[in-house]
Amino acid sequence: MDKLFLLAMNGLIWGLIIALIALGLAIIFGLLDIINLAHGDFFMVGTVLAWATLQSTGSFWLAFIVAPLVGFLLGALIQRLIIQPIHNAAALSIVATFGLSLILQESVRITYGPTPGRILSPIPGTMPMFGVDYEVYRLFAAAVAILLIGGFFLFLNHTQLGTWMRAVRHDRDTAVAMGIPAGRVYVLTFGIGFALAAVGGVVAAPITTVDFRGGVDILPFCFMAVIIGGLGNLPGTAAAAVLLAFLEGIIQSVADPTVARIASLVLMSAVLLLRPQGLFKGFTR
Amino acid sequence: MSAATIERSLWVVLAAFMIAVPWLIPALINSFWVSVIAEILIWSLFAASVNLLFGYVGLLSFGQALYFGFGMYGVAIGIQDFHLSFWPAFGLGIVASMAMAFLTGIFAVRLTWHYFAIITVVFSLIFYFLALTNKWLTGGDDGINFSLPPTFNVGGFNKSLTDSTFQYFFILVTVTFCLWLMQRLIASPLGKALVAIRDNDVRASLIGLNVYRLRLIAFVLAGFLAGVAGALFAFFGRYASASYMFYHVSGEAVVWAIVGGAGTLLGPLVGTTLFIIVREVVSTHWEHHSLIVGAVAVLVVLFAPKGVVGSWNDWIARIAERAEAPSVTAKLRTDP
Repeated sequence: MDKLFLLAMNGLIWGLIIALIALGLAIIFGLLDIINLAHGDFFMVGTVLAWATLQSTGSFWLAFIVAPLVGFLLGALIQRLIIQPIHNAAALSIVATFGLSLILQESVRITYGPTPGRILSPIPGTMPMFGVDYEVYRLFAAAVAILLIGGFFLFLNHTQLGTWMRAVRHDRDTAVAMGIPAGRVYVLTFGIGFALAAVGGVVAAPITTVDFRGGVDILPFCFMAVIIGGLGNLPGTAAAAVLLAFLEGIIQSVADPTVARIASLVLMSAVLLLRPQGLFKGFTR
Repeated sequence: MSAATIERSLWVVLAAFMIAVPWLIPALINSFWVSVIAEILIWSLFAASVNLLFGYVGLLSFGQALYFGFGMYGVAIGIQDFHLSFWPAFGLGIVASMAMAFLTGIFAVRLTWHYFAIITVVFSLIFYFLALTNKWLTGGDDGINFSLPPTFNVGGFNKSLTDSTFQYFFILVTVTFCLWLMQRLIASPLGKALVAIRDNDVRASLIGLNVYRLRLIAFVLAGFLAGVAGALFAFFGRYASASYMFYHVSGEAVVWAIVGGAGTLLGPLVGTTLFIIVREVVSTHWEHHSLIVGAVAVLVVLFAPKGVVGSWNDWIARIAERAEAPSVTAKLRTDP
């Protein structure tokens, strides 16, 4: 029972962090119509930036500003230099982002090194919860993730840029005719997508390891969330991420983590084949 | 020199080079490179399976490693557990991958574009994780090592792949035969129907083509190519491992095929050659060769979006055009 609670709780919190990263993937997928194979590595760059900030300034908290900022700039730059020129050829974008993924991983391996490292929990200690001593930082991480996801939806629904992003996704030609600078919206969207993954990396860094291969596992998980939630359905994506990680946590209490992963993948195949519009169609919007 | 002459002489040079490799390469560099070239041939065949689907049917599969892995495991399990000899094990690998392609294809080809790419990678991940957990059968990440049975053992004539020259020619002949089959397929009415689906699937179905069945046939044939490649690679390395079923392996084949030139017969061969040579040359001097692989992928996409062979074909076409209509170009040039 204690184990079940612990794993379900870990899954839930991990799901909130994944939701943050998957939202970044979903806006890139939905708006630019490209499969971004480097998205897992955007997360990984976030964990490394957290580590680098801690090393150079001694403060982990500064990473919450540094990582999204650097991520945003890198994302905007990547969109401008690589994604923009090939925007109309979706197959090429897969090759380009695959190449980008290798470049990011290898650059981190050169600078950070090949051995995985750990960041000590910035809020040490545990607190008793339902008979289990639960790590305080994980609860803090959950709160931060919820705040950031909420903030993102506020931004999307209540700011001019957010409205532009939704408009361009909905109908690009009309949006352009209405005077929305679509080109700039693409650049900003890619930057925001990277920033969301990077800040997810900072939140996750004390829980997981800092490793140049850290994104390899995250990428399929984010795609599962995007698909199960429904392409273009952002609240659905966030809900699917939490649901998936929670279910995987529960399955892990009775079986191998790999079995849990197989179960999610089978669920995803079923959704793709039976409800390609996603599980939550009709639930939102 | 006309375009056709350039192409024909290149084919002759390529064929002569491929046949001379076991003697030429050890004399020029060293015998290690003979096995590198054999490996390039195997991976080219794997990239060709991506190309058959993407370049000729318009379906981007991100899960071809699944059928590569089934080819590998068919051979390894056939030899290790069922004590099969060479050819039955080879056959088992090919049949296993085609059967798997048929079973997954039934579902996968119902979807197109993004959804197709994702469902193929999902299927391959499911079996990757299954292979990792069922260590009793697959050996997991460590894989299965086996010893090679003889390829031919007829009345005192005994040949096995342990003879490296024989191994090279066995791989060369098998890969050439498969690429020849693919060439025949593309030139056949079936191939024309596939290209029609690639160009416009709605129109193809309106002229009476059964789009679903044709896509499924192409998917199984691509599974065949990937399966042969996997079986060859198992014989080549004398082992099979779950790690070859991971999505990175599929992704590399996609990159090789598109960088070389999707929709061209030799594109995957050129792309694979380019990347494996970069890997082999750079990795001996610098461990971060992936950086160069990534950079090459990005640069080709930006500056030669049709791939190396696609750009080459454009260039040849331009030469042919100029040869046909020299007066026009001459007149254009004299204009101030």
